[in-house]
Amino acid sequence: MDLVISMSLVGAMISMLGMGLLIAYYGSSKTRNVGFGFLVIGAAIAYYITLPDTFADISFWNSMLAFIGGMVGGIIGIIIFLVAIIKS
Amino acid sequence: MDMSTDNLDIMQFFVSMLIVGIGVALLATGMFTSYFGAGKSQKIGFALLATGTILLALTYLMAFGGIDAIPNEFDENFFADAFVSGVSALFGMIVGLFVILFVLMKVDTVDDLEDLDLEDLEDLDLDEELKKLEEELNQTEDKEDEPVVDEKKEEE
Repeated sequence: MDLVISMSLVGAMISMLGMGLLIAYYGSSKTRNVGFGFLVIGAAIAYYITLPDTFADISFWNSMLAFIGGMVGGIIGIIIFLVAIIKS
Repeated sequence: MDMSTDNLDIMQFFVSMLIVGIGVALLATGMFTSYFGAGKSQKIGFALLATGTILLALTYLMAFGGIDAIPNEFDENFFADAFVSGVSALFGMIVGLFVILFVLMKVDTVDDLEDLDLEDLEDLDLDEELKKLEEELNQTEDKEDEPVVDEKKEEE
């Protein structure tokens, strides 16, 4: 269960940081403020996750490894698809 | 916080999910291409679909066994943990994106339009503007026709 919660938080953190950056940069007035809010929430989740007493043990880092592996695999798969389609 | 990489199991966690990621991507793109594609593209789609299915089946057999010819490269429990963590992270990302969408839709961004001067638009008489544009177009057409007439006169 810890694995599910910690990795769900990681996913939400990535979304918040990524979208927060985009919204804070390209947004205007109110929207930009919301973007900064997302950035703060993302940073807070990152801080909470990496606290020593929460999830940051070896199994968490192994899970991160699995997540990164899955993402890299997905990107490689899409590149294979694009190469196959473009070459034909 | 333990940041040492000595205990990280790259083979069990990274490599297994890397192959699964490639397999899922090929399966998904293959399904779309074989369904929506035509001719050569459709054939490529079927090839991608078959490759993705084979990759996923091989990974499953390497983790959970079943065929003696395929060695058990991945530990069953580690593979399940890695898969659950990957799916959980994707779920978390989707939830995060929904939260962002919800907040953005709830926030009143109409204030940004206050900078626009809408009074100028209200004062515009569209009929008059259209007439002006037509006159300008007619004038430019007349100017383009004039040199042609002159050339004909010269030839005569």
